[in-house]
Amino acid sequence: MEHISSLITLKVKVMAAKAEGTDELRSKRKAITTLLPYAVWQELSGKPQMLNTILCAARASRMLWFRWYRIRQFVIPILSKATPRAIVLLAPHIPWSLLTGRGDLVRQWTTATSMVPYTEEVARSVVDTLLQIASRSKLLPHITIGVWLWLTKRPSLPPVCSGRHFGTYLHVVQAVRRLKDIEILKSYLLLTWSEWDAVQHGAFNEICASIREDFGGVGMDRHRADLIQQLDNVLGQLDRGSEQFKQHNPDHSVFDLQTAKQEYEKLKGVLVEVGRRTPSLIMMLFYVLTLVGT
Amino acid sequence: MEPCGRVPTPPQAGLFSAVTSAFIIEVHSHLQQDPNDETAALLRVLIHKIDNTTFGTDPPTLPQWTGPPQTIVQVQAILLASLAASLFSAFFAMLGKQWLNRYASTDMRGTTIERSQNRQRKLDGIVAWYFDHVMGSLPLMLQAALLLLGCALSHYLWGINATVASVVIGVTASGVIFYLFIVAAGVASESCPYQTPGSHAFRYLRRKVRIILRSATSVIRDAFRKSKTARTVNDNVWWYHPWWSRGKIKPFLKDMVLEVPRAIAIDACHFGRVMVWSFTAGVYNLGSVMIIPLVSRLRGTPSTPGQESDQQLIVLDLRCISWMLQTSLDKAIHLSTLKHLTTMMPLTNFDPALIAHCLNTFVGCININNCKVVITRGLEHLATVSAVCFLRTFYQLSTMNPTSSVLEGVRQRHDKVFPLGTDFRGLPWYYMMAKAYGLTNQCLNLRYTWWDNYRPSPQQHIPFTWGIAEAAQVAYQGTQCRKVPRWILRFTLRSLSLDPPPPTSVIADCLSIIAIDLGCDISSIGTTSANRCVCI
Repeated sequence: MEHISSLITLKVKVMAAKAEGTDELRSKRKAITTLLPYAVWQELSGKPQMLNTILCAARASRMLWFRWYRIRQFVIPILSKATPRAIVLLAPHIPWSLLTGRGDLVRQWTTATSMVPYTEEVARSVVDTLLQIASRSKLLPHITIGVWLWLTKRPSLPPVCSGRHFGTYLHVVQAVRRLKDIEILKSYLLLTWSEWDAVQHGAFNEICASIREDFGGVGMDRHRADLIQQLDNVLGQLDRGSEQFKQHNPDHSVFDLQTAKQEYEKLKGVLVEVGRRTPSLIMMLFYVLTLVGT
Repeated sequence: MEPCGRVPTPPQAGLFSAVTSAFIIEVHSHLQQDPNDETAALLRVLIHKIDNTTFGTDPPTLPQWTGPPQTIVQVQAILLASLAASLFSAFFAMLGKQWLNRYASTDMRGTTIERSQNRQRKLDGIVAWYFDHVMGSLPLMLQAALLLLGCALSHYLWGINATVASVVIGVTASGVIFYLFIVAAGVASESCPYQTPGSHAFRYLRRKVRIILRSATSVIRDAFRKSKTARTVNDNVWWYHPWWSRGKIKPFLKDMVLEVPRAIAIDACHFGRVMVWSFTAGVYNLGSVMIIPLVSRLRGTPSTPGQESDQQLIVLDLRCISWMLQTSLDKAIHLSTLKHLTTMMPLTNFDPALIAHCLNTFVGCININNCKVVITRGLEHLATVSAVCFLRTFYQLSTMNPTSSVLEGVRQRHDKVFPLGTDFRGLPWYYMMAKAYGLTNQCLNLRYTWWDNYRPSPQQHIPFTWGIAEAAQVAYQGTQCRKVPRWILRFTLRSLSLDPPPPTSVIADCLSIIAIDLGCDISSIGTTSANRCVCI
């Protein structure tokens, strides 16, 4: 059994290394997903190689949904035996959209995030999962403030990221705004504004409103500057054309690119306009002093 | 297969020969000059010398021997042919006895399996060399001898006395008519008890002739339809209609003279091409149907077991198993045979009838009361093993040859025995029958086979997973896209997700399935079929 296990691990590793994004890896995603329960057992007994290889293959496939949806039936028995690390790393590959009634799973995952030591990979997985869970309105209430704080770590998300793709629904933006934490809100916007994804259609006005209301006050210059810098960066990437996107994300279409560009330009315009209308701190001081003097 | 009963015994053939010999002796005297005739002639000459008035004006002369009469020669030839036929029949019957004694003898020591293989090898040889037909032809020789004897007697007696000859002819003709009648009855109905080798042969020929006639009719019809000559004549007839009228007869005949020879030439060319093609196809068919099997037969099955490859041995084993299940009624033999089948890897080139035998064995172990399956007391083990074998063989054949007519027969039998709604729950082979149900009803989606909310016991999980792993291998090799079917992966995922985990051998088989789908070379990994068999 050990021999065949190592044989499979080696095969998946080779497929992930040589066939990035090609059909070979995609066509074998069901078999690789089928390995997950065994990989979790292996990880539990101190052999994380197979689990790492599966995660590597999932990244290399550059698919929004790499896992086989049949895994949804077996998520609970698999995660019940898994280590916190395994839960956190596997969570982005759980079909949360098909498990909308399972608040207990979110709680289990929340507990695991608090137990696992911080690494860039862990942060990436947590943020990805967090946004995926948040995109499901039935699961959203189960997310605690402690988990939202993971957004402030701002890990670099991969080009194909389900969390970022589905995490910009209107109700998610509203939920983040309701937290009344400007750092979390800014981190959320910085993470979701990317050349790889456009903002979800219904959420655009809400983001504009958020920029005007949440980032329009005095003392918000630094945050606005960060956001404008991110938008400049994104627009700069979008100006380079669609070819480079297709290399990293085969599903990236020209239509997405144009839409995203228009939206990000509008957002930048809103930010600039808000900045123009808001008096700076020095101007405010001067105004206050003038009033006091008179 | 018991050919002994069809072999005529040498005493019967000897009786025929003795009867024929008596007539031969009787007729043989007529082949030579009778010395009494010469003595009588000499006496007549002597008397004439003494008294020349005794015989009147016609003086007696010594007769000149010119050979036996033509009728006698013909009769003697036919009688000798009859004798030869009956003697050869006795000779071959004796040889046949000897061959059958060799077949029946246990001239090999070893395990039961080795002896079974030896027996199967002999049986295969008997089938391959048409031993049955050769033995079946011996009574034909005796029948021919009897017919010849009747003909010879009739011919002989006709020259002596027509009345006596008529009786013999009548009896012989009645026998021939009766024989022809039973042959015709045998040809007309397969269930007729008066079967003869002739009726078998005619039935076979009738099928062939019907096919040949049908194809010949279609060829002639096609040829006539495509014939350029016929078309030319037809076109001209229609074009110049009414061509026999005074103004049209001339141009009609002129056109016919100009066009028909060319059309005939084209048809001749076409006919020649068709002939060449038919000849080539005929030669090819003859080669493929007769010569190639004959050559392969002559190259033959190796005479000693040591010359056989493992593959051939497996095929031999499978034939043995099929034969045992077919002929034996002993449940203990069924159990040991099927257990051996479960240990065999891989299942290739097996007789499709094996599936039906497995199903029959399984059905023989159960009763169905109000759609609830109940195992006959004491046959639980046999029921499980036969269910495993049925699923294995059925899946193998449905993957390798989905259009096999045997599969259709098995499906019908399965549906007849287990109608819709049959409840297998709580039985040790529930899992297997759920899958078999899916396969027989051609719904590979296991949503319809009560699959999900059931945890199999290790006793059924281990052999089933093994069978599924084997099926995955077959399916992977059988499909062009090199994929294991989705339902197998789903089963694997479910097995690996069980809490508490399934037995180690199940996990190993699940990993094998995944490895197969990923295209890993798992040939180096040994199978633990023996262990699995113990588990079963």
